[in-house]
Amino acid sequence: MSLALAARSATNQRIAATFARRALAPRFARGAADTAYVPGGPVYKGTVNDPTTFPPPNKTHGSYHWAFERLLSAGLVPLTVAAFATSGSNYAMLDGILGVSLVMHSHIGFDALLVDYLHPRKFPLLGPVLTWTLRATTVGVLVGVYQFNTQDIGLTELIAKVWHA
Amino acid sequence: MMITRAVGLGVAVRRSALNPQAARALVFRNATPKRFIQIQSLSPSAEQQILNSQRLKRPSSPHFTIYQPQLTWIGSIANRVTGVGLSVLLYGYALAYLVAPGTFDSTHVIEFVAGLPDAVKYAGKAILAAPFAFHSWNGLRHLSWDMGKFLTLKGAYQSGYAVLGLTAATTVGLLMM
Repeated sequence: MSLALAARSATNQRIAATFARRALAPRFARGAADTAYVPGGPVYKGTVNDPTTFPPPNKTHGSYHWAFERLLSAGLVPLTVAAFATSGSNYAMLDGILGVSLVMHSHIGFDALLVDYLHPRKFPLLGPVLTWTLRATTVGVLVGVYQFNTQDIGLTELIAKVWHA
Repeated sequence: MMITRAVGLGVAVRRSALNPQAARALVFRNATPKRFIQIQSLSPSAEQQILNSQRLKRPSSPHFTIYQPQLTWIGSIANRVTGVGLSVLLYGYALAYLVAPGTFDSTHVIEFVAGLPDAVKYAGKAILAAPFAFHSWNGLRHLSWDMGKFLTLKGAYQSGYAVLGLTAATTVGLLMM
């Protein structure tokens, strides 16, 4: 009876508590980072349970890209109206800016398709291949549009003439 | 007790309780299987291959094919389809002109279009004007969402119907030009 009382006395409890705490504390010297102790068991890295990695955040691919895309889309409206109102041959510069803006808008749209349906995370070979194919195609299209606008009548003029052909 | 009755072993349990010798035979009959199964051990990668080939053959419940058509998602995919269609036309023509400027220059294109029958001309204009009109008006709807307008269900439906109406009007207007 007195033994139990002695065991449950305040000082003995405090001593026992410190020993228990030290025993349960994670041993940093023993475990490496990948087998760190967390309640529920050690966490092993390198298995199928690893969380997915994210690319480092970059405003060029994030908020700046978003803002650029919206400004471009909004700008296309007055550009198209102006280009068709004035007639392409008289204002070749306007025609050129419209052509480049249209191609950029289309490129961003195609890129969105690839990101949505053929993301490199799921398609490790096809995704990047098509991304670079798209970039090369866009470069070719820009060259073609430039050639057409300089050596021929220009995009707005073509559409206007075909419409009334 | 209830479990043995539900599983269907009630009769067997009762018989084994009353007749101990029958119990031994029953236990052995349930313990040793009638058929012998061949077990073949595989490496983990071979196991994973079998599992993956089984997973590929598994059916999945319909999800995409049974979603009720709604203005929201039909409008969204229509925006994408019209954008892609017009862009493919632009890219295709630019590349064709780059590759073969003699065949695809403006004079040839205008001549070709002028030689088509009137009905084909009107059909062609409609096929070009409608996607362009829809994509443009829906694009403005998207931009207004980006500015925080029409972000309720009612707003989405009202703006969606407005876009459809404007598309029809614009297409007719462009056809008459």
